Amino acid sequence: MMQASKRLKDFDIMLIGIALLIFAIGIVTIYSATMARGLALGESFVFRQVNWFIIGIIFLALTVMVSYQRFIDISYIIYTVNVLMLVLVLLLGHARLGAQRWFSIGGFAFQPSEFIKFSLILALSNYVGGKKDSMRDLRDLIVPCILIGIPFVLVLMQPDLGTALLLIPIFFSILIVGGADLKYLGWMIMIGLAGLPFFWHFLRDYQKQRLLVFLNPSVDPLGAGYTIIQSKIAVGSGGLWGKGWLCGTQNQLNFLPERHTDFIFSVIGEEWGLLGALAIVFLYFLIVRRAFTITTLTSDLYGQCIATGIGMLIAFQVIINISMTIGLMPVVGIPLPLVSYGGSSLIATLVAIGLLVNVEMRRSTF
Amino acid sequence: MRDRVLTTLVSALFLYILIGLFYTQIIRYPHYSRLSKNNSIRVIPIDGPRGNIFDRNGKVLVTNRLSFDVVIVYRELYKRSGIIRLLKDVLGMSGGDIAEALEKASLRPNSPYTVKGDVPKEKAIAFEEESCGLSGVSVQTRSKRSYLYNNSGSHLFGYLSEVSEEELEDLKDLGYRQRDLIGRSGLEKQYNDYLKGVDGGTQVEVDSRGRQVKSLGLQEPESGKDLYLTIDVRLQAVCDKLLGSRNGAVVVINPKNGEVLALASHPAFDPNIFVKTGTSSERFRLLKDRIGRPMSNRAISGLYAPGSVFKIVTASAALDTGKINHNTSFVCTGSYKLGRGKLDCWKAEGHGPQNIQNGLMNSCNVFFCNIGRLAGVDALESYAKLYGYGKKTGIDLPDEVDGLAPGRAWKMSRNKGSWYEGETLNYAIGQGYLMVTPIQVARMTAVIANKGSLVKPFVVKQIDKVHISAEKEKNIGLKDRTIEEIRRGLFEVINNEFGTGKRAKAEGVAAAGKTGTAQNPQGRTHAWFTGFAPYDDAKLCLVVFLEHGGKGGVEPASIARGIFEEAKRIGYL
Repeated sequence: MMQASKRLKDFDIMLIGIALLIFAIGIVTIYSATMARGLALGESFVFRQVNWFIIGIIFLALTVMVSYQRFIDISYIIYTVNVLMLVLVLLLGHARLGAQRWFSIGGFAFQPSEFIKFSLILALSNYVGGKKDSMRDLRDLIVPCILIGIPFVLVLMQPDLGTALLLIPIFFSILIVGGADLKYLGWMIMIGLAGLPFFWHFLRDYQKQRLLVFLNPSVDPLGAGYTIIQSKIAVGSGGLWGKGWLCGTQNQLNFLPERHTDFIFSVIGEEWGLLGALAIVFLYFLIVRRAFTITTLTSDLYGQCIATGIGMLIAFQVIINISMTIGLMPVVGIPLPLVSYGGSSLIATLVAIGLLVNVEMRRSTF
Repeated sequence: MRDRVLTTLVSALFLYILIGLFYTQIIRYPHYSRLSKNNSIRVIPIDGPRGNIFDRNGKVLVTNRLSFDVVIVYRELYKRSGIIRLLKDVLGMSGGDIAEALEKASLRPNSPYTVKGDVPKEKAIAFEEESCGLSGVSVQTRSKRSYLYNNSGSHLFGYLSEVSEEELEDLKDLGYRQRDLIGRSGLEKQYNDYLKGVDGGTQVEVDSRGRQVKSLGLQEPESGKDLYLTIDVRLQAVCDKLLGSRNGAVVVINPKNGEVLALASHPAFDPNIFVKTGTSSERFRLLKDRIGRPMSNRAISGLYAPGSVFKIVTASAALDTGKINHNTSFVCTGSYKLGRGKLDCWKAEGHGPQNIQNGLMNSCNVFFCNIGRLAGVDALESYAKLYGYGKKTGIDLPDEVDGLAPGRAWKMSRNKGSWYEGETLNYAIGQGYLMVTPIQVARMTAVIANKGSLVKPFVVKQIDKVHISAEKEKNIGLKDRTIEEIRRGLFEVINNEFGTGKRAKAEGVAAAGKTGTAQNPQGRTHAWFTGFAPYDDAKLCLVVFLEHGGKGGVEPASIARGIFEEAKRIGYL
């Protein structure tokens, strides 16, 4: 009884509230981004996103109900299943936008790479948590390297550069929390950087193109360069106050490609201006801060690892996504969590937040 | 300390975006605001033209020409009445058409919309002059596909049409845009990825009245790769001319390596119709004609009973398995009796005693019923397959079909029961379940012509500078004796005064061949002729097929003669 009421007290209404608020902003923006395509269609994008949200909330609730320790217990199974799905998607996935990221389960297009992020968080947390702060040795890094290596290569082969890149901060942050020697981690980063030219060969033509375009948008003025230029114009012309909802000319006049998915932040920047952009960035920052606070409040190493991993995951998705819309980073195709249109990403983020709440509720306090 | 590392890193990165946003939205605001107010970035596509198609002697067959399209950009239209008047006066458009065009243009107000495509050059120039000073309307040049020989060779080239909205979803990433053309049949389809050019374009900044201020970048278009064919356009022309208004197909190949010298299928169509504007009713008629089926390439996609041309296979099976030799003879009394049934020879009074030579020359059904039964259905099936029946030849044209070389196992698998002896008789004379394409027949004849090798027909021998070598022909292991007997029989078919194919005899050409008259459930018999020349060292091998064309010895043989004569005239024989 005591136990239950304490849990209830620790149920983080704030965290959930912020997530809902961000989602609401997302829905309003998706409506604006898709209505130019004809009203009926605009409504259906919103409608479908709300449907995904309801499914996501059910998953969130399920995630909260079961102790995160149970997830840790079966983390290797989840991880293995997810990796197998990645293999499957490579073998028989639908190719969309030049990439095989999806496959259909009962009519739903499903993207396993969206879920590998926290399958990896759970698996790494399981390993690192089990070591109980004795991660000093170089040998302790072998298993984590294998754990990230397999999905990293598989996701890269899809090819989904963005998601692959996201696995890296997750990996390092959990190892840092787990007490790995910073010196070794530093070396790893150096080796990774030295291997970049080699890695270049694995990229598909259009990915190379996008990276080159980042360096000089005028090399491809019709394709990826066009997107970046138009996106920058959209955000920049929003100014301090923005042009107002449904009044973004770049958005409404069809200048922005992919504006309801990866480039949705351009619509926010154009229609709500710097103030709107700062507001949403601030909301994300609050979620990330909360995740780090949960880490410090939790004494259980497993829980610390999960909370850190999720915090880093959300932070990097937001940072990479916004950076690419204003030309601070190459276009790598990462959705803005909770805002971009798309079921897999939305559900995955909601489950991640559920996991955060879960850790906070069941943390063993001092 | 450790968690501080991460918090600091993340906070720094958040700060980085804040600075980025501040820079973009406050400091650069005037710049971006101006760009956005004018909607001032415009992409002007430049077509990458499709590759040309040449014949074996470098004659141009398919190329591109300039076409002039009048386009409007809806948002930039200011003096609408002036433009409407111009469209009426210079281009002769009706008020209704103009209203409809404006309506459609308003759906994509920022992209150029073609009001009238393919305007004659003089009118285009006149329009360009008159429209000077009006914004939002202009004449754009596009390269348009041009098939120089119209109906001739249409099934080789195939046709193009615009990508549909649904296809565009999948093709967008490959660089396709709205109104781009894609090959739908023939070489245009088979080699689409080679022929297709890569579109380029310029991105320009325009002012509020649509005038270009400066160019932000240029991407040069690339033209597609050229195809060089094995086709000789002179032979192709004569094949198309001789087929005329008849339905059917002609294929001429080099029996040594499988090069296709001519390939015609009739009724043909003019591929230009599919790229011209204002021809939608003609297109519709071509695509929907279920009776004439002008779009179907009968040479590779048409399935027919081969009739007596298949006797080459029956003879091979009987001779090669040693069931008969050149002395074996049977008496033809006008029909072959089996149980209570009988199969008539085409000559009611009978041919009398027949050996392999006169059996082939007279195309005697009774003789072939006898030797077909001796060989048996299994041998017929395996020799049919040896000659390439029942399987695509692998020619580099789309929509080829397999055909059918039936056998006991096939019949059982189709739940049609066990094989009857009567069906073996039909098999032996090229009737029954057997289904072949004209090109398969040409390839069979090539085996006899080149003395034992199955070739793979092909049409493209060079893509840009890259030569495509013929696939190594494969010897199918017939005995020399078998081939020799059949060759002699086929020689008699044309050169003996009683031969069924004597109409194929051309002055100064030593040819050999076989006629065929195939019964079919649809009506009048199909007529076949297949042959090769010169007899000793064959350089050319052909098949002529006429759908419901009567007797093989009549029209098809005459057409073959015409082709032999032309081939001699231009130096092939």
